[in-house]
Amino acid sequence: MIETRGLSARVGSFTLREITLTVPAGAYGVVIGPAGSGKTTLLEAIGGILPVSAGAVRLGGRDVTRLPPEERGVGLVYQHGYLFPHLTVAHNVAYGTTDAAGAREIATRLGAADLWAREVRSLSGGERQLVALARALARHPSVLLLDEPFNALDPRRRSRVRREVRAIHRERGLTVLQVTHDFTEAGLLGDIAVLLDAGRVLQVGAPDEVFRKPASPYIAEFLGAENVFAGTVGLARGPVEDDDRRGAASGSGYRALEFHVAASPLTFVAVGDADPGPGYAVLRAEEVVLSREPGSSSARNTFRGQVQDLATLGALTRVTVDVSGLPLVAALTTSSARELSLAPGVEVYASFKAMAIHLC
Amino acid sequence: MYRVASVVAALVASCFLLFLAAPVFALVAAAGVRGVAKLGSDVELRDALLLTALTATTATVLGVAGGTPIAYFIARRAFRGRAIIAALLDLPLLIPHPVAGIALLLALGRQSAIGGALLATGFRIAGSRTGIVCAMLFVSAPLFLSAAREAFARVDPRYEAVARTLGDPAWRAFRRITLPLATRGLVAAAVVMWARAVSEFGAIVILTYNPKVASVLSYDRFTSYGLPEALPVAAVLVVLALVPLTALRALRYERGIGTM
Repeated sequence: MIETRGLSARVGSFTLREITLTVPAGAYGVVIGPAGSGKTTLLEAIGGILPVSAGAVRLGGRDVTRLPPEERGVGLVYQHGYLFPHLTVAHNVAYGTTDAAGAREIATRLGAADLWAREVRSLSGGERQLVALARALARHPSVLLLDEPFNALDPRRRSRVRREVRAIHRERGLTVLQVTHDFTEAGLLGDIAVLLDAGRVLQVGAPDEVFRKPASPYIAEFLGAENVFAGTVGLARGPVEDDDRRGAASGSGYRALEFHVAASPLTFVAVGDADPGPGYAVLRAEEVVLSREPGSSSARNTFRGQVQDLATLGALTRVTVDVSGLPLVAALTTSSARELSLAPGVEVYASFKAMAIHLC
Repeated sequence: MYRVASVVAALVASCFLLFLAAPVFALVAAAGVRGVAKLGSDVELRDALLLTALTATTATVLGVAGGTPIAYFIARRAFRGRAIIAALLDLPLLIPHPVAGIALLLALGRQSAIGGALLATGFRIAGSRTGIVCAMLFVSAPLFLSAAREAFARVDPRYEAVARTLGDPAWRAFRRITLPLATRGLVAAAVVMWARAVSEFGAIVILTYNPKVASVLSYDRFTSYGLPEALPVAAVLVVLALVPLTALRALRYERGIGTM
């Protein structure tokens, strides 16, 4: 288990402030945040590389706040690997262990066996990351701290290594905390996500929860939610569809709400536990369905608008629809966009369910 | 335009090189062969060169042993007053060397507390080989400290951090990782210190005129017998100085560790 309580640390003019988080034993935590938010600093403070100015770090239930790194039982992999350049790959991987066979085995498992006799200087960035991972894992740490360990790998190798690391994590019951910029990776790997910004924790929760229910519009935008609107939350006056009620029943204290968008005359029907008053509505583009005719679905929110812009990226197309002056972004497959003959100026209907709106 | 600028730059560079090389070439051409030939017959010159090499090496060994931990500490630890300490360590570079000699005489001469106490136990500093080593150490150690500090600063502390997470206590991480990665810079720093010690005159002549190191012998012959007698000594010193400098350049240009 990784546990920090009010953890503060300082690097130059940057301060990590009162970080409180828990990654349960055997869980895979991911830290997400913009550049300079303190992600690496957090790992270094947990690993004992940086002195802690306040608060406590507990690893596996043991208070390690004042212990040096070598007594914490952590493995640390930096983004750039930091392989020892005066040693070969073999010596790097076996650096922290006396079990040479085990070191070789973990390198083989991660696909770094071919690099065994190579000089560090001759390795590519991706290869360095593989060796750095093998080096950290060869020592059998109980806690693994990973700082964007896959970002230099090519996509094919990345997914293979990611799977392998996840498998090793399960087999060994490792507790992992990984820094990533990649939201997909965070969703794929993480049991728990920690969102960090300006040295503070903004939100902690299951990745799906953090992505679907960001605690603030800033988090929503950072996590890539295209539709974030300011407005006012109010209690719903009309009935909410059964479909939406079933969804609402899964949470406790949820009620039918309305959201009046500040920048337009639109009102969204929503379901949630937000208090009436000023707030924000977050709607992911994947939740918006486009059609050329008003549909007969259970979606409580259907608006007529005009296609403003289309951006195609392979099989995915993002369509911006002007709904009463409000730009609403929908994400759909490129083939769907083609079937609907979407083009700027075309009139469409944009629909989304009340449950798709997250109010914060 | 670019071509004209290139020609002008090449001309300026050539003049500058000529300015640096001409005196050295003139000296070696005038008395290099004679100086090397004198090594066989001139016992005083041979002894002076041997003494110079011995005392400069001793000073360098002491400088490396005492300076390495200080350089590492200043390069790695951020603490209040770091800039002041670094400036104080550089200070001997700014003091005119005869003044440094006077300062050393005040601190270590027979009239001083330290020098007097040591003399009482039979250990003389001023006017001895120890005095030469002290003078060399004082004026050349700051060069080692400064270059060694840079050598350590160039090694990313994260290498050491990783080694610590792999089970190394601080000292072992330093020995296995930081020291090997800084070695080239440290050797280069030691070579510069040694070369500076070899060439020292001003501080040594105040603290210890006798026994004579090569620089003092060259001065002594110049004042006693004139230029013809001083030239071979000076020329031999220049020729011998080429050895550490060539070694230094070879270290700098060789592709190796510490450049990652």
